[in-house]
Amino acid sequence: MTDFEDIYQQYSPQIYRVCLGYTNDAEQAKDLMQETFISVWKNLAGFRQEAQLGTWIFRIATNHCLRALEIVRRMPPAEMPLHLADVPEESPEEKLSWLYRAIATLNETDRIIISLELEGLPQAEIAAVVGLSQGNIRVKIHRIKEKLAKQLKMYERI
Amino acid sequence: MNEFDQLRTLWQTADTSALPDSQAMLRLVRKFRNQKLQKKWLVIGLAVLFSLLITAVLCLVHFQLPGTYIGGALMTLSGILLAITNLRSLKRFYRLNDYSNAEFLAFIEQTRRNQVRYYQKTMVWIVALASIGWFLYLYETVAPYPEWLAGTYCFAFAYICVLWFIVRPRAFRRDARKLDALRQKIENISKQLT
Repeated sequence: MTDFEDIYQQYSPQIYRVCLGYTNDAEQAKDLMQETFISVWKNLAGFRQEAQLGTWIFRIATNHCLRALEIVRRMPPAEMPLHLADVPEESPEEKLSWLYRAIATLNETDRIIISLELEGLPQAEIAAVVGLSQGNIRVKIHRIKEKLAKQLKMYERI
Repeated sequence: MNEFDQLRTLWQTADTSALPDSQAMLRLVRKFRNQKLQKKWLVIGLAVLFSLLITAVLCLVHFQLPGTYIGGALMTLSGILLAITNLRSLKRFYRLNDYSNAEFLAFIEQTRRNQVRYYQKTMVWIVALASIGWFLYLYETVAPYPEWLAGTYCFAFAYICVLWFIVRPRAFRRDARKLDALRQKIENISKQLT
């Protein structure tokens, strides 16, 4: 098995989830994940170990997400799904769908940051991926978590 | 379990079973790695092929008028110029690896400047050389037949006018719009990161 295949098997589900969190669209997320691994494949030989491999791959993925113009056109700023009260029985898929829609209310970089946090990346690594200081990331994550927790409470009340 | 842990557990339930396996991804990667730059490679290939073809014709066929050779040489030159311009552009794109947003923004600005320079200078030279070359090159073949001469030159002139006054400005506006949208997006993201 080649290095690329190992890397793909290890990181593709994580990258896909981050892209899905950003786009809230499975097809676009798949496209972005594929573009990410095309970039990884092209640049793997030149990867100089200056950053951790995971950090490097997540940075490529976030760059692809943030620079994809199609997503702006196809995904207008989302509103919170207040109509969820109409859903009689909430399945895990519906809950997940709610989470993506809640994330879609955030701005682009916050969407990326919280997706990486939900993926379980250490905050130092998130800072390296996004290009912000660790302190700044900590504050941003705290604020995003507060927003999401508030929305979660609202959702549970509904 | 706190609220965020609940969300994290929920996050991990996303279905990733439909993702291509590593073999399928490798096939995909090999197929699509240069897809975005395929158009540029195609232009380069066609321009080189065209230049080689015209050169071969000029070498193999004996023409009477020096204007035909000058015309052929000008068309060859325009083909080479087009290939070089696109090769230089490709070189910039291939260097675009793992850039920060600020570097990417600078890349877009440079692309925008290059685009304006291409439309205002390089393209003018390429089209002028190719058009003059074409007119000169055609003359010897159609000169003995006045109707063909008039018809061919009318068609050539109309074709160049359509390219110059309709296709070119539209292509420029479309590319400029795309670059502006990308620049605005990156600027917006850069603001979020400050």
